[in-house]
Amino acid sequence: MVSTTVPPVVRPRARSIGQRVRRPGLVLTLGAALALVGQLHAEAIPADAPAVGMVCTDGTLSGSTRTFNLVAKSGDIETPDGNAVFMWSYANADAPDNGSFQSPGPVLCATQGETIRVNLTNTLSEPTSIVFPGQDSEVTGNGTPGLLTSEAPAASPSDNGSASYTFTASQPGTYIYESGSDVAKQIEMGLYGALVIRPNTTTCPAAAAPCAYDDTTQYDRSREFILLLADIDPELHHAVKTGANYDFDAQRDRYFTINGRSFPDTIMDNGSALLPTQPYGAMVRIQPTGPDGRPALIRLLNVGLSNHPFHPHGNHTIQIAQDGRQVARTEHFGETIGSGQTEDFLLKWDDQTNHDNWNPNTNPLPVAQPNYRNLTFKDGNTFYAGSPYLGYKGTLPSGTTQQNVCGEWYFPWHSHALNEFTNFDEGFGGMGTLLRVDPSGGCFAAPSSTVLPGGVVKSGSVTALAAADATYFQVNPKTTTRPNSTNATQTTITVASAAGFPTSGQYYVRIDNEVMQVTAGAGSTTWTVARHQLGTSAATHATGAVVTALANDWYAGFTSVPAGATNLKVTYGGKNCATTTGTTCTALSTNLPQQTVKICNWTIAGAAGCSTATSAGWVTLPAPPAQPQGVGSSEISSTWTTNGPSADYIGTGANAGQVRVLVHTERWTAPSPTAFATWGNFMQVVYDAP
Amino acid sequence: MHRLMGNGPGRHLTRGFLVTALVTAGLAATGSSATAASVTIDLCAVPGTLALPGDPTAVDVPFWGFALPDNTTGSCVGVPARVPGPQLEAATDDTLTLVVHNLLPGGHTPVPEVPGLEPTAESTGTDGDGNPTVQVSYAAAHSGTYLYESSGDAGRQTAMGLYGALVVRPAAGQAYGPETAFDREAVLVLSEIDPAFNADPDAADLNDYLPTYWMINGKSYPQTDPIQASPGQTLLVRYLNAGFDNTSMALLGLHEHVVARDAHLLPQAFDAAAETIPAGGTEDTLIQMPDITPPVTAGFALFNRQLHLTNGPTTGSPSAPTPAPGGMLTFIHP
Repeated sequence: MVSTTVPPVVRPRARSIGQRVRRPGLVLTLGAALALVGQLHAEAIPADAPAVGMVCTDGTLSGSTRTFNLVAKSGDIETPDGNAVFMWSYANADAPDNGSFQSPGPVLCATQGETIRVNLTNTLSEPTSIVFPGQDSEVTGNGTPGLLTSEAPAASPSDNGSASYTFTASQPGTYIYESGSDVAKQIEMGLYGALVIRPNTTTCPAAAAPCAYDDTTQYDRSREFILLLADIDPELHHAVKTGANYDFDAQRDRYFTINGRSFPDTIMDNGSALLPTQPYGAMVRIQPTGPDGRPALIRLLNVGLSNHPFHPHGNHTIQIAQDGRQVARTEHFGETIGSGQTEDFLLKWDDQTNHDNWNPNTNPLPVAQPNYRNLTFKDGNTFYAGSPYLGYKGTLPSGTTQQNVCGEWYFPWHSHALNEFTNFDEGFGGMGTLLRVDPSGGCFAAPSSTVLPGGVVKSGSVTALAAADATYFQVNPKTTTRPNSTNATQTTITVASAAGFPTSGQYYVRIDNEVMQVTAGAGSTTWTVARHQLGTSAATHATGAVVTALANDWYAGFTSVPAGATNLKVTYGGKNCATTTGTTCTALSTNLPQQTVKICNWTIAGAAGCSTATSAGWVTLPAPPAQPQGVGSSEISSTWTTNGPSADYIGTGANAGQVRVLVHTERWTAPSPTAFATWGNFMQVVYDAP
Repeated sequence: MHRLMGNGPGRHLTRGFLVTALVTAGLAATGSSATAASVTIDLCAVPGTLALPGDPTAVDVPFWGFALPDNTTGSCVGVPARVPGPQLEAATDDTLTLVVHNLLPGGHTPVPEVPGLEPTAESTGTDGDGNPTVQVSYAAAHSGTYLYESSGDAGRQTAMGLYGALVVRPAAGQAYGPETAFDREAVLVLSEIDPAFNADPDAADLNDYLPTYWMINGKSYPQTDPIQASPGQTLLVRYLNAGFDNTSMALLGLHEHVVARDAHLLPQAFDAAAETIPAGGTEDTLIQMPDITPPVTAGFALFNRQLHLTNGPTTGSPSAPTPAPGGMLTFIHP
């Protein structure tokens, strides 16, 4: 742990809530904060849990009985304004951390038809219990009788109380579990969580899975989200902690949470080390609806004491269920979820893919965009990309801090009771999160520069690679001349210039109709060559003969690819034409040039490893499709997924954020390895942003 | 004008059994005539005192409520006020006339309203005891569950307790028609009381309105009436929210089939385990009573999920900071 001095905290207002130390991460240097992240992953959920989306606690399945072990205990949560709130909650005794305090309780996931057994251990000093609203099968409890259900007795100095509950998960759906003891206090104190029952294969046939309910409620497995709303009056929590008086009639909530966190903490990842007792993030992150048309599923629960008008910006949501039962579908841009209710929604984002297809190059918006100089952003900080187009970034006023990675969109989802969109009356905060819409398939980037380690530009520039259109970045083989005549046997030749030829390794050149291989001297103007290669015959060549490389090598540079990007892919499309002159592509359909696309692996030899066409850092992009590919004048576009960690291909330090992709095209097979031009049409990298 | 339709003080009924006060939840429905009729109901708006459970001692809170006139004399003098007022009944297509006799403190004039029913005639008068009357006629064209209330003094009369339930029935054992047939019925008027407001209804600052008693049919737990329905029976629950708060009622161990809101059938009924009844709204649900053992011997809990489950000023003691359970809670038991 990094040692640091915690400065005194200026609290927003005087109040009686006792302690508060600011969250450590806010006062550490960035590097120290990163070190902290590395050390302290919140272990209430598995380390491999996804960064966003619902994280299930599956319990233990034995036969058809699924068992969960919960512990009612106390702990503290942190709020974004630097406060901490004393809470009660259910911990998961089976978690990697053996049941450390977490808020809210674990998301219990089960399948319809299973017998659910929940064993409750009570470490609190008063009786507590669990009720399962919406479970209509008989719930058998083995504790002591209480007002609403069977209870686990208070813990004694020597022993914890215990009770267990058994019922059949008869119907799929989204449900609450919560305390059934002294509920006005205990639920407000935080004894609540979510229970998700997935349909069995009768309700949702395997071919349709996953479904929320029946096969009319299919959704995208990678886009399942849970948003559990709650509210907190810290005065009650303080009173419970200190044994002081509290007037329930005077309750005034000050903190409003989604999944136990208040905005902006809600948009931090699941398991963030900065929130060790609040493991669940609430960011809703989707891409435009995919070809299978499956929407995202949003499970909304309200365990708070207030009815919350929840307002999803962006696209409308479609309600499909309430309290674990399907309802007639209705579309919403605001829906009040009552206290104790659950509501399930489907969310599609298909405008971009199926309707509008706005694109800055091929389908621009029919109205002028505001001049960025006229924009100001609150606190000089924004999630806005600077461009209205999904997947594109634009220009922001200088000095503006931009949180946007690759032109993704952000929309606030929040309680529209705006006093709840605050942290202790300071907005924005509280019951809010963000819907993040990433570009279809992931973030994409076009190259910003080109370098030709073996070739010369025939025409075009890097901008021609931004779109698969009629503009091309055209590269001819590098040429030079022989200042002297050449006889049929000499193996050392001089050339006028080596610029543009490979500076290391071996490569082929052609003089008249004879192919030679440069075996030494690359990078200098005196080459050692092997004569009459590739089926050609040795010949004499006149003074001033043209020397032509038999391969085109060029690479494109990408910038601003974020550290932490994953699932890196490369797309390249282009063709090769039979002549090196003219504005039309001369047909080339036999003896095709062989194209190999490589990516710079910065971990092999850093920037030097990708400095020339034959440097060691270039790694061939792995099949599919296999390389090399024969590419003639019929254009071919291919997408490769990189091998191993994407981080290997993203530069660091002075090269931070850089990705380089090399296109090597050669044509040195017999019988006529004549020169050709490479016409690059489209290149991009695609990745999942962190 | 002394009386509009009457021949003597008190209530006049063209079909007496329809105005039977059914204030006990769970009573089976009475029969009704297939023929539309004119029904006149006399109601007394009278001040009273409500004994509310306190913590630790009971408190007496002044209130204003509706009551029926004396059964014999027809006079409103001396009749005890009730909260909620008597449950009124009419048959679908009846013409319903409410005659409200004003025995409220001086300067307060009742303003009868039945949200959802169209008033067809209005007049004022004086009854045999010299009390002013306000008379309003309605066409009870739609079956369903209605609040009646007096909204005078900018709503302060409602907060003082002048409200009750009106049930318009199409036929015995049906809420709206055969598709809403039921075996048992519970009419639940939800409301709350702020004793400080009630102590000074004319001058109290409504910005300070802070109810401390949360009631079902004028009673807070543990005084609330349990609801009985046997396994296999269909229980009709009629919720009426006479309070100021949008109230979410949770049902533990059961779903209820929500069939109507504001006395109109929903185009798409649905099932709920927690339902929000807006302030001033009504809602009808059907519960199929299962043949299972409820979570506790008292039955299936039905309670205010905003957790207004305390009675009176609730500041506890340091050793027991939570008061005993109370408030808007009852049980449905087999």
